[in-house]
Amino acid sequence: MPLLLRLTALLALVVAPAHAADLSAAEYGFPLGNPFEATIATTPPGLRMQVPSDEDIDQADYSLRLRPEREFGLPDSFWAVKRLRYRLARQSGPAPLIFIISGTGGHYSNGKTESLKRLFYGAGYHVVQLSSPTSYDFISAASRYATPGLSSDDAQDLYRVMQAVRAQHPRLPVTEFHLTGYSLGALNAAFVSQLDETRRSFNFKKVLLINPPVNLYTSISNLDKLVQTRVEGIDDNTTFYEVVLEKLTRYYRQRGHIDLDEAMLYDFQQSPLKLSDEQMAMLIGSVFRFSVADITFTSDLINRRGLIVPQDYPINEGTRLEPFFKRALLCNFDCYITEQLIPMWRAQYDGGSLAQLVQQVSLYALEDYLRQSPKIAVMHNADDVILGPGDIGFLRRTLGERLTLYPRGGHCGNLEYRVNAEHMLEFFRG
Amino acid sequence: MLLPLLLATSMAQAQTPFVDEDGFTHPLRNLQFNPGLDQREFERATFQALDVYDPFESFNRRMYHFNYRLDQWVMLPAVRGYVYVTPRVVRTGVSNFFSNLGEIPTLVNSTLQLKGKRAMNATARLLFNSIIGVGGLWDPATRMGLPRQPEDFGQTLGYWGVPEGPYLILPALGPSTLRDTLGLAGDFAVERQVDYLEYAQASGGELGLTALRLVDIRYTTNFRYGQLNSPFEYEKVRYVYSRARELQIGE
Repeated sequence: MPLLLRLTALLALVVAPAHAADLSAAEYGFPLGNPFEATIATTPPGLRMQVPSDEDIDQADYSLRLRPEREFGLPDSFWAVKRLRYRLARQSGPAPLIFIISGTGGHYSNGKTESLKRLFYGAGYHVVQLSSPTSYDFISAASRYATPGLSSDDAQDLYRVMQAVRAQHPRLPVTEFHLTGYSLGALNAAFVSQLDETRRSFNFKKVLLINPPVNLYTSISNLDKLVQTRVEGIDDNTTFYEVVLEKLTRYYRQRGHIDLDEAMLYDFQQSPLKLSDEQMAMLIGSVFRFSVADITFTSDLINRRGLIVPQDYPINEGTRLEPFFKRALLCNFDCYITEQLIPMWRAQYDGGSLAQLVQQVSLYALEDYLRQSPKIAVMHNADDVILGPGDIGFLRRTLGERLTLYPRGGHCGNLEYRVNAEHMLEFFRG
Repeated sequence: MLLPLLLATSMAQAQTPFVDEDGFTHPLRNLQFNPGLDQREFERATFQALDVYDPFESFNRRMYHFNYRLDQWVMLPAVRGYVYVTPRVVRTGVSNFFSNLGEIPTLVNSTLQLKGKRAMNATARLLFNSIIGVGGLWDPATRMGLPRQPEDFGQTLGYWGVPEGPYLILPALGPSTLRDTLGLAGDFAVERQVDYLEYAQASGGELGLTALRLVDIRYTTNFRYGQLNSPFEYEKVRYVYSRARELQIGE
């Protein structure tokens, strides 16, 4: 068996040339050249890696009691997030274990985390899926300060969660530990990996960062800006959502029936009704704004800051939250940082200016560590909307050959693409 | 072989006119932005979307939490047990059987909405699946190019202009409106009356059948409470429900 494995590895080396070199769009073969389309529609089903179906995966959700004091401090309507839940997929015998950290606001069971799970499970790993430190459940159940955004703090919270996960399954035969994350989860993974160098609970063998933000402030500024695009068709009576829904309705009328499958999105974008770049940008921006609204509300409520929810406002299961939702929706990433993150950072850590904060929470803070750690690699896309000028240059300088840059894919649109999937498995195998 | 490749390359270059020395393509470069970066379209659109007629919100929210708990502690464990004891073929058969029963209300409602083509589709599905598919256990009709296109009485009422009325969360069944609740009762009555394959009669005396149907409904429904992972899940589900119904009625 090991001989066979070695042979396969050798064959893979011969067949796939060193992928550190930049691929051209034609070599790469990913069909969606529009970064917004790629981000929304992701990989066409026919071009995805073969992965096991859910029914073939031995998996279950578990919960951890990490912050018992919150059980008294949080309103009743938070009952579902007083314990942190996560998902573990286990192999039948000894195997390596990989932790997957979800992206901004992401739940452990969201689509991208699930598809990474299927990929790694199919390749013989135990897989643990974790919610993002910026997600509602993580902030409520696992975060010490409940104000996500300080990468080193988030890494400590995550590390504690990972240790608790390991402790909850003492009999799970793990041969070695790996770590990965996408989007903001990739930035988290880098900081967790650095923390692990001193704490040594896992000794991660390989760490893969998929589409990480480089300068966190550039990324959030880009995302904040996406909802500022000029979208045609909006007037006093028609909102942006109605413009999009109207298009969908007309499309369905033409087709005669509704089928909401993945192939539909491609057909739709081929039709004359397709969304413009501005409209897609606005959609992507909106998704992120909803995530910030959740963070803003949850962080404010738990810390009783009184910015969104008046201090000591009684909230039970029947309480209308719409007024608070509306207030939270007015706050974008920049607003969250200035109103909640920076004040907390200053109070807690004697923090300074915004520029210093950006330096501390971005990949810049790990420059030396990234340069010296052969176990870390980055996969990124040349057309990722969360990057700014110079970010890819930073990655090239810091990681050299360990950066794989794909010419297309938008933001995490090519995770499931065969080529990417094979590169991921190859990296962890090697 | 080479020509399409070349074409693809040139197209790729046409789509990404700008690549800097790092290889970055500056995806936001060609977007039209609002000059002041101060448009509040996202806020305006979302506020308007939140505006759903929901006078019984307090009750609905409590019912929502009740359903959430019921789901976590009863429904999902039941589904897990069901998955554990039955092979996949059996589960698919069960789903097909109940979905075949559902063709009766679809047929009735398509007719009531004067949708001839859809009524014929339902009739054909019903015949093929009941006869070739052995009482609906298999679904050969879908493979023959007759997709399932469900219509319910709530949609019929909507089609004839009945307003949706207040939003309601029904115990165990989840999001609905006054109109759709009436629709649900209507479809139930139709099923009782028609008594297709003597199911209605059998399920009257046999609680097990009804339980199996409930478990199957949960098994085939992808929604999981908490998956949106937002403190505002209630509002989001409410919006999605009301819009989805509008789409279904308009279609």
